[in-house]
Amino acid sequence: MTTRILATEFDYLKPATLEEALKILSEKENVRILAGGTDVIVKMKVAGMTCDYLMDVKGIDSLDYAKLDDDGVFHIGALAKLSHLEKNPIVAERYPALKEAFHLMASISVRNMATMVGNICNASPVADSVVPCICYNAILTLASVRGQRTVPIEKFFLAPGVTVMEKDEMLIDVALPQPEANSGAAFIKKTRVRPDIAKISVGVRVVRDGDKANFCRIAMGAIAATPAYLEATSALVIGKKVTPELIAEVAAHAAAAIHPIDDNRTTAEYRVAIAEVLTKDALTEAWRNAGGEL
Amino acid sequence: MSVIGKNTPRIDGPAKVSGKQQYASDIIIPGMMYAVTLRSPYPHAEILSIDTSEAEAMGAVCLTYEDIIPVIYNERSVSVPAATYRDRTVLPKKARHIGEPIAAVAADTEELAYKAMQALKVEYKVLDAVYEPEEAMKDGAPQLYDKIYFGDEEVIVKNNIGVVRNIDEGDSVGGFARADRIFEEDFELPRIYHCQLETKGCVAAPDTEGGITVWATAQSIHGNRQLLAQTLGLPLSKVNVKKITLGGGFGSSIQVNTVTPICAALAMKARRPVKLLSAREEDFYSHHKYPSKFHVRIGVTNDGVITAAHVKALIDFGAHQIQPMSFMGCVAGWFASLYKYEGNIKFDGVAVYTNKTPCCAMQGYGNPQINFAIESMVDIICNEMGFDPIQFRLKNYRGTGEEFWGQGPTIRSIIKSCGVEESLVEGSKLMEEWATRGKPEDKHGDILTGVGLARGFHCSGTAGPKEGEVIDYSSALVKVNEDGSIDCVTPVMDHGGGTWDALAKILTEVFKVPLNMVGLSPADTKNTGYDVCTHATRGVYCGGAAVYNAAVKCRDKLLEFAGRVMDEHPCHLEIVENEELGQGFIQVKGFPQKGRTIGEVAKIAQINSWGTAMYAESFRQKNCPPCFTTHFVKVAVNTRTGEITIPKVVIYGDCGVAMNPDLLYGQLIGSFNRGLGYVLYENLPHDERTGKLKNNGLLVDYKMPTAVEMPKAENVIVRHAHTYEPTGPFGAKGIGEAALASVQAAIANAIYNATGIRFTKLPITPEIMLKALQEKGLAHK
Amino acid sequence: MSKHDITLNVNGKKYELTVNSNELLLNVLRDKLFLTGSKYGCGIAECGACTILKDDESYFACMVPAVAADGWNITTVEGLADGDKLNPVQQAFIDNSAIQCGFCVPGMVVTSTALLRENPDPDEDFVKDYLRGNFCRCTGYVAMVKSVLDAASKMKEAK
Ligand SMILES: Cc1cc2nc3c(=O)[nH]c(=O)nc-3n(C[C@H](O)[C@H](O)[C@H](O)COP(=O)(O)OP(=O)(O)OC[C@H]3O[C@@H](n4cnc5c(N)ncnc54)[C@H](O)[C@@H]3O)c2cc1C
Ligand code: FES
Ligand code: FES
Repeated sequence: MTTRILATEFDYLKPATLEEALKILSEKENVRILAGGTDVIVKMKVAGMTCDYLMDVKGIDSLDYAKLDDDGVFHIGALAKLSHLEKNPIVAERYPALKEAFHLMASISVRNMATMVGNICNASPVADSVVPCICYNAILTLASVRGQRTVPIEKFFLAPGVTVMEKDEMLIDVALPQPEANSGAAFIKKTRVRPDIAKISVGVRVVRDGDKANFCRIAMGAIAATPAYLEATSALVIGKKVTPELIAEVAAHAAAAIHPIDDNRTTAEYRVAIAEVLTKDALTEAWRNAGGEL
Repeated sequence: MSVIGKNTPRIDGPAKVSGKQQYASDIIIPGMMYAVTLRSPYPHAEILSIDTSEAEAMGAVCLTYEDIIPVIYNERSVSVPAATYRDRTVLPKKARHIGEPIAAVAADTEELAYKAMQALKVEYKVLDAVYEPEEAMKDGAPQLYDKIYFGDEEVIVKNNIGVVRNIDEGDSVGGFARADRIFEEDFELPRIYHCQLETKGCVAAPDTEGGITVWATAQSIHGNRQLLAQTLGLPLSKVNVKKITLGGGFGSSIQVNTVTPICAALAMKARRPVKLLSAREEDFYSHHKYPSKFHVRIGVTNDGVITAAHVKALIDFGAHQIQPMSFMGCVAGWFASLYKYEGNIKFDGVAVYTNKTPCCAMQGYGNPQINFAIESMVDIICNEMGFDPIQFRLKNYRGTGEEFWGQGPTIRSIIKSCGVEESLVEGSKLMEEWATRGKPEDKHGDILTGVGLARGFHCSGTAGPKEGEVIDYSSALVKVNEDGSIDCVTPVMDHGGGTWDALAKILTEVFKVPLNMVGLSPADTKNTGYDVCTHATRGVYCGGAAVYNAAVKCRDKLLEFAGRVMDEHPCHLEIVENEELGQGFIQVKGFPQKGRTIGEVAKIAQINSWGTAMYAESFRQKNCPPCFTTHFVKVAVNTRTGEITIPKVVIYGDCGVAMNPDLLYGQLIGSFNRGLGYVLYENLPHDERTGKLKNNGLLVDYKMPTAVEMPKAENVIVRHAHTYEPTGPFGAKGIGEAALASVQAAIANAIYNATGIRFTKLPITPEIMLKALQEKGLAHK
Repeated sequence: MSKHDITLNVNGKKYELTVNSNELLLNVLRDKLFLTGSKYGCGIAECGACTILKDDESYFACMVPAVAADGWNITTVEGLADGDKLNPVQQAFIDNSAIQCGFCVPGMVVTSTALLRENPDPDEDFVKDYLRGNFCRCTGYVAMVKSVLDAASKMKEAK
C-alpha cells in the first residue's frame, strides 16, 4: 500500500465512443473502468486493486448528460458529475432527497470529479446516492456489445463491490421516474465529521392521499452488505393514516429489521439505536414535504 | 511606531499563499533519487536476514541494518545525556511495532524504488507481541528489550518497564489527614496522532568532500545534525542541516524523525542526493501522543482549601523511548503547578514498553492529559461541595510569587506575571451563559446545553535559574548593514505560530527600524550556534531572548562606533525611531542635533575599516514562566443521537505582551480545534490480533474536526490577559502549548453541566454519549 | 504499462511531456514541472493539500493519473496571482492572519478561489461547508473562513 504513488502498472485506454468502450470490455481481460476515479484510485493505492487495462470513459461525451425525456423521466448519464447534479434545477425540484445526498458526500473537489454512476457501480453499502435512488424507483440501464438491459436499482447489488453487472457490461444511464403529485422525500445521513462516509443513512419517500400514504419507500445505507430497501417496513405505511404513533411504530420496526455490524465508523448498537431516530425524522420530514400534517 | 503588540501581516505570507514557500518536501536536486522504506508488517519480529539482490538488480540502492553504524540513541536530544534512555538504531535487527522501518531503497523514480522495495526478501522470526501496559508488565509477557542504556549505563529492562518516576514533596499523608473530604477518580486519555500536514521527510545530498547537506522536517536543525554526525560517523563540520519551513510540528519533529538518518545513510551509500518522504500511512505509524491513565486523589477542606494531591500515572509509550522519563517529570510538574495543595504532592509514574508506535510530545507534553484529570477533579469537587468554580480556583491556584515547574522537578522558577484572575473573571462575563448555566437536573428537552470552565498553562521554555535535566539555550548573530537594515542569523525554528515574525519584531524594537528593514537570513547548522529546539513553547521567550541579547550587544557595538563618529561617549547615546528617514537614528539622549542614522554609522565604520557592527552569542533564559489559558465552553448535547456540538467558546490567553495579537488568537483557535478533536473524535485503536492500527494509517478513519465543526466565527471569542513578563523579550512569554491545555476539561465539564454525566475517559463519541444517556434514562427517541 | 505523450496547460503555459500510465498528476506537477506549491498530504482525497483547478472547478491532483489530464486547463496555486499581485483570496489570507505553517494554504486558497467563482456572495455557512474537504491542523479555520468572506466583500466593492 502506498498513497504517494500508483504502484500498480496497467495500460491506459481512452475510448471516444460507447461502442469502442463496449468493444474493449468484451475483448480484453481485466479491464477496470475509470470515471471520476475517486473510488478506483483510492482502491489502487490502498486496497490492492489491480488491472491490466484502465479504461478512462471520460472521453465518451455522449454519456455526459442529465436531462428529461419526452415522458418526463429524468435521465442521468454515466459521466454526470455529482456537483453538477447537485446544482441541477430538476434534481432540486423533483428529487430533493437526492440533492441532499449529493451535497453531503465527500467534499466539493471530490464531487467535482466523481460521478453518480461511479458511486452506484462501486457498490459500497454506504453509497449515498443509492439510498434516495431506491426511494425514487431508479432504473439502471446496462449496456454491452450484446445489447442493453434495465435493472431496478434495488436489484442491482449482490454484495459489497459486487453487482449483477457482467464483466463486459457498463452502466450507462440512470432513469428517475417523475415523482407523483403530493409526494415528499427526505434523506438523513450521520457521520463522524461532515465530510465522511455514513455511519448510517436513511432515505424515505411517501406519496400522500389525503391523510393517508399510498406509497412509501424507506431505504438505508451502511446497515447491511448492500444499500437496503426496507420493503416490509415501508409496507407498514402504505394505505395507513400517517400519525406520530404510526411513525414511531414504523421507526421501531425499521430498527428491528436491520442487523448491522461494528466497523471503524460506529457500532452495530449505535446504528440500531439511531436507525429508529432517523427513520422517525426522515418519515416525518418526507410526510411534511408531501403536504401531510401531523 | 513600535510594531510590538500590533497586528502586522506575516512576513512569509506572500510566499505561503502563492505556493512559493519551500518546505523540505519541496527540495528537488538534479540527479536526485527517490527512496521508500520497507516497514515491518509484524508488531514484534526478529529480522534474520534481508536479501537485497533482486532490488539491486533493478538498479536500486538498498540500506539495511548491515549498512548502518550501530549507534544506540534516543531520537530526542533535548534532555541532558545523563537523563536520557537510549534504545534504538537507525535500522533495527528486531522490529518492535508495525510500520517500523526495516530497510530502505532508493532508485531513479519513486515507482521504481517502491517496486524494488517489494523485491526485498526479509526472513523474520515472528515473536509474540504485547499491546497494553498492564499486560506488558506481567511476568512472562513478551519482552521488547533485554537491555537499554541510561546515559552511559547499561540498564536491564524488567517486565517492559521503561521508566519509573516517583516524586514526593511536602507531607501528603498529613495533607490528606487534614482534608475534610477526599476525592478519587480514574482518568484515561487515548493515543492520538499529530497529523501535521507535511508528512515527515528528508532530502540528503552528499558532497564531494565527504560531507552531507540535509533538509528535513525538523523542529531543531542542531538536534538533527548531532544525531546524523553520530550515525554517519562524520565530524559535525561535515554535516550541514538547513533551516527550512516546517509544514506543522505539534511536537512530532522535536526528535529527529526516524526517516532522517535513514535517508542520510542511504544518500551516503548511493553517493547521490536522496529524497525520502513518508506516505501518510507511514507517518501514522511514526509517532503518537502519549496515551495516559491516571489515578487522582485530592483532599479538600470544608472551606475550600486543597490540602494534598496524589497522582498515579501509567503511560504506554510504545516501542521506543522518546523520553517518557522527562514526560513523566513534566506531568508531575504540570500537576504540581496547577494548585498549591499546601505543598503536599505525590506522583508515582510508570511508563511501559508495548509493541505500538513510539509516543512523543504532542502539544503540551502531558499537560493536556493531566490537566484534563485535575481540572475535571476540580469541577467534581466544586459540584459536590457547592463551591463556586471560579472562587475555588482563585483560592487554590499557583500565581505570582509561587513556584512553577517549567519542565519537571529539576526546572523551577518563581511566577512573575500572571493573568489567571483576569482570565477567569473577565472570561466569565464574556460567556454570558456562565451565570445562568444552572444545574444538570434542571435541564430538559432533546438538546441539553451546558457551560464548562477549565484553566491551564504551559511553560515558556525549559530554562530555570539552575540547569536541570533539560538543555535550553539558543543562539543568534545580529548585524547592522551599511544602509541601516538588519540581518539576523539564527537556527530558531518556526512551526507556523509566528516565531520568526516575533524575532523580527524584537530586532525592529532594538534598532528602531521598520519591519521591512529586518530580515532573518537563511540559516543552517554551519553558520549558527546551537539552539536546542523549538519545543516547550520556548520560541519567542527563549529564542527571542537570544536574538534580543545578541541585538543589544550589537547595538552597543554600533553605539561605540557612533561615539567615535559623533565625538560622544557611547553611554550618552540612544537609538530613536525616525519615520521620515525610515531607519534608526542615533542621537545624544534627548538631543537630535548631531544625530546620525544607524546606516550612516555602519557605513562610516566600514569606510574607516573599524569593522562591522555585529554580534553572535548564545543565550540561556533563567526562568520558565507559565503562560496561562482559560476556556469557557458551551456545549449542546443531542439526547436522541448523542451528538455533541459546540455553539460557543470564550478563550483567554496570557502570553505576556502579545507580539502579534492576531497570530496569538490563531494559536488559541487552532488549539481549540485540536482539543475538539481530542475530546470528541480522535483515537487510534489497535487490532489486538495483528497489532495494526484499525485505521490502517489512513485519514479515512481518523477524523478530525473540519471548518464545519467549529462554532460560528462570532461565537469564538478570544482575548488576551494584560500582563507583562519582566524576564521576557519586551514582556513576552509563550502561548503555543498552553493553548490546548484546558480545552479538554472545559468541554467535559460543560457536558457534565448539560447532562450530569461525568466523562473521565476520552474521546466522548456520540456512541459513548448516547449509551451514557440511555443508562441515565436521558436518551430520547 | 503504457507510455503516453500528453499536453498539460498549466497556469497558461503549455507543457508537452511523456508519462507512464501510472504517474500521478500531483507528482508530475511537482517533480517534472517543478510546481511544488501543490502538496501531498494524504494521497486519497481526504486533505485537500493537492487542490488544483481544472477550468474553474477544484480537483485533487493526487487522484488523477497524469495521462487522464491530457489536454486539461489547470491552474495551480502558482497561477493564482498576476505576477506579484495576489488574487483577492490570497491577499485576504494575509490580511486576516489566516496562515500558520502554510502547508494547507495552497489548497485552501485554490478551493476558496473556486468558491468565489461559483458564488461571489457566500455566507459563513456556505464557506465552511465548501472548505470542508481542505484540512488544516494549525489554524482552526476561523480566520480562513473570515478571509474568504473578506475577499468576497472586497471583490464586490471593486466592481
Ligand atoms: C474522500 C472521499 C470521500 C468520499 N465520500 C463519499 C460519501 O460521502 N458518500 C459516498 O457515497 N461515497 C463517497 N466516496 C466514494 C466516491 O467518491 C463515490 O463513490 C463516487 O461517486 C465514485 O464516482 P467516480 O466517478 O469517482 O467513480 P470511479 O472511482 O471512477 O469508479 C467507481 C467504480 O465504478 C466503476 N464504474 C465507473 N463508471 C462505470 C460505468 N459507467 N459502468 C460500470 N462501472 C463503472 C469503476 O470501475 C469503479 O469500480 C468518497 C470518496 C473519497 C475518496
Ligand atoms: S493529497 Fe490530495 S487530497 Fe490529500
Ligand atoms: S496552516 Fe498548517 S495545516 Fe493549515
